Amino acid sequence: MKKYWAIFKIQLLNRMAYAGDLIIQSLTIILFMWIFMQLWKTTYHSTSQDTLNGLTLHDTMWYLMMAETIMLSKPRLSRTIAATVKDGSIAYLLNKPYHFILYQLSIGVGDLAARTLFNLLSGSIIVWILVGPPPDPRGWPLVIVAFMLGWLIDFCLNTLIGLAAFASEEIAAFEWIYSKFLLLLGGVLIPLDFLPPFLRSVSMALPFAYTVYGPARLFVDPTLERFAGLVSMQLIWLLTLGLFTLFVFNKASSRLAINGG
Amino acid sequence: MKGKFFFLIALWKANLLSAMEYRTAFLSQVIGMVLNDAVYFLFWVIFFNKFKEVRGWGLSDMFLMFGIVAAGFGIAAYLFGNVMNLAELISQGQMDYYLAFPQPVLLHVLASRSIASGFGDFSYGVISFFLAGQFTPAALGRFALGILLSATVFLSFLVLVQSLAFWIGNAQMLSSQAINAIISFSSYPNTLFDGTSKLLLFTLIPAAFVGAVPAEFVRSASWESFLLLIAAATTLLLAASVTFHRGLRRYESGSALQIQI
Repeated sequence: MKKYWAIFKIQLLNRMAYAGDLIIQSLTIILFMWIFMQLWKTTYHSTSQDTLNGLTLHDTMWYLMMAETIMLSKPRLSRTIAATVKDGSIAYLLNKPYHFILYQLSIGVGDLAARTLFNLLSGSIIVWILVGPPPDPRGWPLVIVAFMLGWLIDFCLNTLIGLAAFASEEIAAFEWIYSKFLLLLGGVLIPLDFLPPFLRSVSMALPFAYTVYGPARLFVDPTLERFAGLVSMQLIWLLTLGLFTLFVFNKASSRLAINGG
Repeated sequence: MKGKFFFLIALWKANLLSAMEYRTAFLSQVIGMVLNDAVYFLFWVIFFNKFKEVRGWGLSDMFLMFGIVAAGFGIAAYLFGNVMNLAELISQGQMDYYLAFPQPVLLHVLASRSIASGFGDFSYGVISFFLAGQFTPAALGRFALGILLSATVFLSFLVLVQSLAFWIGNAQMLSSQAINAIISFSSYPNTLFDGTSKLLLFTLIPAAFVGAVPAEFVRSASWESFLLLIAAATTLLLAASVTFHRGLRRYESGSALQIQI
């Protein structure tokens, strides 16, 4: 495990060396939060209700802040993995004394940590100014656990998309559609509580909801019941997708043909 | 003028022929982007299904505005794809190739690359326009004019922002934030914003001229919105051209070996 910890640390230090870039990147969340505030303030005002589907404007904004932090902090691993497959540099990574998937995981967590820090800070400052203080801090440790488990599910899905480069020349379309599923069925653009019942049940039956909606909803309603239900579903999806990712990786790498170099 | 036009046609033809060499990748990007836009737009279908309208804007208004934004962005990205990389080309000193030709530098750089997914955005934009229920030939003509002017504003804004690389060096991060800002703001109902935000959308980030104003022109055929749009597009185009050519005097070659395929 020591080597993966070292890879994580190097990646984190690499990212933090360009703190200026991270600060400029985190302007995106400020922009989104500003737009969401205009949309949801108008919507709550036009319905003349303080609470919609169990969420106040304050809850909705903090929910969206957490959802956007999760979404904007994700490194684009599928693209990185696909690039190594397409240009053949995967061969260089496969003969090193580490597991390819765990190597990508360590790199990804390094990226994630740096980006999350800046997005969370920028997002929290703007939302605090707009709607007031964040939800109960006693729930934050639970949110961190759910956040990490959600990210691991996303990591498996991203790796699968990246590995699709073994079969398909271009993976951009898979990547876009996955990100749009996250936006809609994962609850990035709108809390799943606002979806029609049928679409909500479809969303809850898919893994996307457990990467974004679950942790973000827990952030605004940090109860132990919600945490237990969320984590158990996350573990089921993580086990299923993790095993499937390893299976696909083993199949793909056993068929890898390197033609010189 | 005639020579420039034929030069542009020749570049677009070369881009198309190059894309046709990788037909499957091209088609997967086009179809993928149509699906991507459609899944994203489902957010607005769900939103307006639940909340009916936002300050006078309903679903058909969104279909029309999103149609213009998607088609305008799509046509700009497909025909002038290098607009996304301009800052990078400038800061890395990779403009030498274009400077050596007896052709307009800006036009040559911009049209030298085509983004296949832009064709998908354009296609979805047209579908969205028809879903807005505008079936008359006059409305179709206004739509064509609207997307042309919307694309002009979008392109000019990006050239303006990316030309900053001549003065500040690394402007890629700033450019990506500018792209995020103009796309995000132009995809939301204009009526959500008032006061300072509205002023910003008509000046510093001219998103209103990419979505809301052309949509108003297509819907109501008003001379006021048409003249406003023409004035904005002309001013921005002139400003972009002057800024780029002023900046070009400061350009420093990277002296790198470049191969143009």
